[in-house]
Amino acid sequence: MRKNMKIGIRAKIMSGYLLVLIMVIFAFFLVNNQFSSVQADKDYIIIHDFEVTNLSHQVEKYVLDMVRGQRGYIITGEESYLQPYNKGNTEWRNKFDKLYSLVNDPVQQAKLLVIKDNINKWIDTVGEPMINQKKQESNGNTSNYLAGDQGGATVDLVRSQFDNFREVEHELRQKRSDALNQNIDSLIQGLITLGIIVFIVALAMSTMVSRSIVKTINEVIESIKDIATFTNTNGLDLSRRIKLRTQDEIRELGNATNELLTNLEQREMHQRRISNTFNSYQGITSIADLCKVLISTISEEANTSYGAIYVRDFRSNRQRFVKSATFADGFDTVGRNHFELGQGLIGEYALKKRMHILHDLDEFQLIPSALGTIRPKGMIIAPVLYDGEVIAVIEILSLTNFSKSDQQFIVDVIENFGITLNSAKDREEIERLLTESQAMTEELRVQSDDLQTQSEELQMQSEELQTINEKLEERSKEAEQKSVALNQAKVELEQQAEQLILSSKYKSEFLANVSHELRTPLNSILILSELIAENAQEQSREEEEKFAKVIHTSGKDLLSLIDDILDLSKVEAGKMEIEYSEMNIDDLPNYLEMNFNHVAEQKGLLFNIVKDPNIQNLFCTDEKRMLQILKNLLSNAFKYTEKGSVLIEIKKVQNKNLEPIFADKEEDYWISFSIKDTGIGIPPEKHQLIFKAFQQADGATMRKYGGTGLGLSICQEYAKLLGGYITLGSEEGVGSTFTLYLPSFSEKMNVENTVITSLEEVAASAIDDGGLPLEAAKMNLIQVEKQNVLQGKNVLIVDDDLRNIFALEAALKQEGMIVTSVNNGLECLDILEVQPLLFDIILMDIMMPNMDGYETMQKIRSNDELADLPIIALTAKAMERDRKKCLEKGASDYVSKPLDLEQLLSVLRVWVSN
Amino acid sequence: MYSHDENYKKELEVDLLLETIHRITGYDFKQYVRASIIRRIENRRSIENAPNITSLIERAIHEPGFLEKIIEGFSVPVTEMFRDPSFFKEFRMNIIPILRKYKDIRIWHAGCATGEEVLSMAILLEEEGLLDKTTIYATDMSKIAIEQARRGIVPLNKMQSYTKNYLKAGGTKEFSMYYKTNSQNVFFSEQLLKNVIFAQHNLVTDQSFNEFHVIFCRNVLIYFNPSLQNKVHELFIQSLSQDGFLGLGNKESLRISQYAAAYEEISTDEPIYRKK
Repeated sequence: MRKNMKIGIRAKIMSGYLLVLIMVIFAFFLVNNQFSSVQADKDYIIIHDFEVTNLSHQVEKYVLDMVRGQRGYIITGEESYLQPYNKGNTEWRNKFDKLYSLVNDPVQQAKLLVIKDNINKWIDTVGEPMINQKKQESNGNTSNYLAGDQGGATVDLVRSQFDNFREVEHELRQKRSDALNQNIDSLIQGLITLGIIVFIVALAMSTMVSRSIVKTINEVIESIKDIATFTNTNGLDLSRRIKLRTQDEIRELGNATNELLTNLEQREMHQRRISNTFNSYQGITSIADLCKVLISTISEEANTSYGAIYVRDFRSNRQRFVKSATFADGFDTVGRNHFELGQGLIGEYALKKRMHILHDLDEFQLIPSALGTIRPKGMIIAPVLYDGEVIAVIEILSLTNFSKSDQQFIVDVIENFGITLNSAKDREEIERLLTESQAMTEELRVQSDDLQTQSEELQMQSEELQTINEKLEERSKEAEQKSVALNQAKVELEQQAEQLILSSKYKSEFLANVSHELRTPLNSILILSELIAENAQEQSREEEEKFAKVIHTSGKDLLSLIDDILDLSKVEAGKMEIEYSEMNIDDLPNYLEMNFNHVAEQKGLLFNIVKDPNIQNLFCTDEKRMLQILKNLLSNAFKYTEKGSVLIEIKKVQNKNLEPIFADKEEDYWISFSIKDTGIGIPPEKHQLIFKAFQQADGATMRKYGGTGLGLSICQEYAKLLGGYITLGSEEGVGSTFTLYLPSFSEKMNVENTVITSLEEVAASAIDDGGLPLEAAKMNLIQVEKQNVLQGKNVLIVDDDLRNIFALEAALKQEGMIVTSVNNGLECLDILEVQPLLFDIILMDIMMPNMDGYETMQKIRSNDELADLPIIALTAKAMERDRKKCLEKGASDYVSKPLDLEQLLSVLRVWVSN
Repeated sequence: MYSHDENYKKELEVDLLLETIHRITGYDFKQYVRASIIRRIENRRSIENAPNITSLIERAIHEPGFLEKIIEGFSVPVTEMFRDPSFFKEFRMNIIPILRKYKDIRIWHAGCATGEEVLSMAILLEEEGLLDKTTIYATDMSKIAIEQARRGIVPLNKMQSYTKNYLKAGGTKEFSMYYKTNSQNVFFSEQLLKNVIFAQHNLVTDQSFNEFHVIFCRNVLIYFNPSLQNKVHELFIQSLSQDGFLGLGNKESLRISQYAAAYEEISTDEPIYRKK
């Protein structure tokens, strides 16, 4: 600064004031001077003129005193009169000299000299001589006094000369006062002029000074205003500076403002760099991208040459930092890939949680570039903190030392980066967890399916293992047994040969029997029919009827014989089909009574049926075959009983009472049917024999009682097919008791033949398709159910149309459903109140009297217990709106009328399946 | 001493298995979501009762058909009819009116699993009178799933929830019109699948095979890591016609994808996007 050249505002203002002050003082002196001279003039006029007049009067008085004293002395002669004379004589000269010295005007001086001469003349001529004369006369003479008259003229002359003198003096005074007045006037004029000049000078001065101050201030203000305006419109233009032309404090103000601007510009640049950095990673969500952007932005903004950012491995428990992004690093060799807390310099400062700046590095790894390597000079290691934890560390190198602003920039960026990085981390974590949880829910669903599949598989696997074990065991056994078997085979072959002979013997016997049995009725038929044909005219109607009856009976016998043979051959060939179904045991007594009461009456036998009341009414078996067995046994009983009674007892059997090989099987329960008769009985040795095919106790008996002898064989085979057996207790002549033991097989009931694909088939196809595994195929195929889903399900039909109910009931009962029906909503609610949990499903008509379907459904749904009970609304070919209403009121599904049975059953299966 | 960290070993084994699969079949599962893949492998391991994953690798290399078994296990055929009913409702309300103007419509169900979604879409199109002019391409990487889908059969015990979904999705008819049942299964009308072409297709390795008006890829991408997702999105971009629609799973979105800008959001609530 050129301080010596500086003229400050203070100096400007001071110099102005000083100039004015000097001029005022000057004027003061000037005026004062003028006033002094005027004063002197005035004093001169007042004092000098007064003195002159006074002195002239004194001189005149002293002269007159001398005159009076001289005269008094002359007249009186008294010496006392001489006193004023003497005094006047000495005094007037003093006064006169004084007067003379005061008078400057030569004319006046001349006049005074004349006056003096005249006085002296009087003294010389009149005064002294007369006194001397008197003194002499005192001795006696007085007459010379007359000479005194001469002296009187002189005195008068003096007096008039004095008057003249004073007059002239007065005139002179007048002149002088005039001159004085003139002087005062000019003085006043001068004063006014001076005042004006001072005013003008002061005004000029102040204007100049203020202008010079205000101008520069205005310039500064303008500059600041400009800057401020730019701020508002076009972003801050901080590069502008105030131009300085003056050398005063305003320059300093300008300089200070410029410095402020520079400061602001730097700060703004700092802020801009920071906000650039922040903006650069706006919207970036992945940590890696974030780091990449950060490091490249820092490198750009702070002009660094090499940088790396290490982010803490959040998933690892150890405080491990992994290189996440680098700048100017294309070589794998540069920079470590990771470090741990406390490892190396960077690890050390990460541990200390503070930034470290190094300048003028001497020894440091060289940064490789394309054309060579570069030696860095400045280095910053900056840990990124979040919540007091180091979550990342940045290391950057520069070819130059880091400036303060760069350092500050890095500090600020990094301070904020912690939050951003952490939120990115959180976001990634959330994203990852979200994805994972989505995947997991998906998988959970699969896994629950899988688990089901797996448990099946496990079962299958264990089964397989077991089978394999068994097979192995078998194989070893087989190996052991092979030799035994070979031996046995030989024996068996021999036995079989024997049996073959036997059975061929039986067969011949049977054929003989059969041919006989066939022939007998055929015979009678042939004969009787022939008889009728030949003697058509002769025979009475009665006879014809009899013949016809016999022919009928014979035909029936033939038919039953043929049926029996067919049945037996079927059983033996294994072609008999067993159809399991549920039957009601309660119906059995009625059925048997209906069939055998008339036989009993005919033969005069008692027929009793005793049923154990504890038996469940539902019994699963092939009803047709079972009845066949019972009818057969009963027919036999009636056939061989001449008198007495036939009794059938139906009882539930405890497993322990069963024959051991049948006990503990998987059947539901067992029932025994004991048929007791009081007939001829069977001898014990024949007990086994009678069950053999083609055998009968006695050919004669057979002929006596009729029958093919196949009945018991068939019964035995049927019983086996149904999983049961027949026992016999008998005593010849007392009676026989045949007991049929049968199990209830609910599991075997209704094996669906229409199951789409058995597992094996799918498995086979899967393997055919390219050897893919079974599990996936099985996943969506359900375990084959052994039961019709509708079987035994309780359905409640709510409908006011009885014909509808009749038709629905018939159809649903056929499916094995248990049907309950009510005629309107109120009844429906009543029955649900009594038995809320009885029903599996409700079929709900909508249009009903009393309470319609909508209201009923709504009421049903208001009961929490029934919230999930499936309700199928039966709507008329409905409008969209009706269907919506159905759903709103709580229907699970709807089917429109007229009902398609297949569709209805499908819907029912859907809604009763679990 | 070398590391004996169990996790490390397991990661290594998984890497080796995936590499084996990649080298032999060309299928790259390395970019699938790791946690999921590990669970699927573990699942397979426990089914096979194998002591470790390495023994699976051995069998994968030497036992014919075993590799396919492992790969089948990676597919997660979880699906249901009218899954996320609101999605189907939205589709019916807002997308169908646009499709109605087209002369013919091609729809691709990428990752159709066992075909429940295809059936649902067919029913929806049938009710809107568009089924006849629509060709649906249903693909999945699992051959078994595709075979299953082709049958149009679903288990009876799922039908209650499917019926509820159908009703919530704005079904206009009786759901029971479309199927028959027996005691285990539900058989959907063959008419629904007459215009459906089922094919095996792997989103990761296979190319685009047509241009579609609509692509559904619901709850498939969640098993892929972001870079793989982007790859699949690229495939979709290539396969979508101008103004075509992309439907994602209800918990998926395009937000994290690179291709978000290529689509506009059609719905605020459902992940349906339209190619710009």
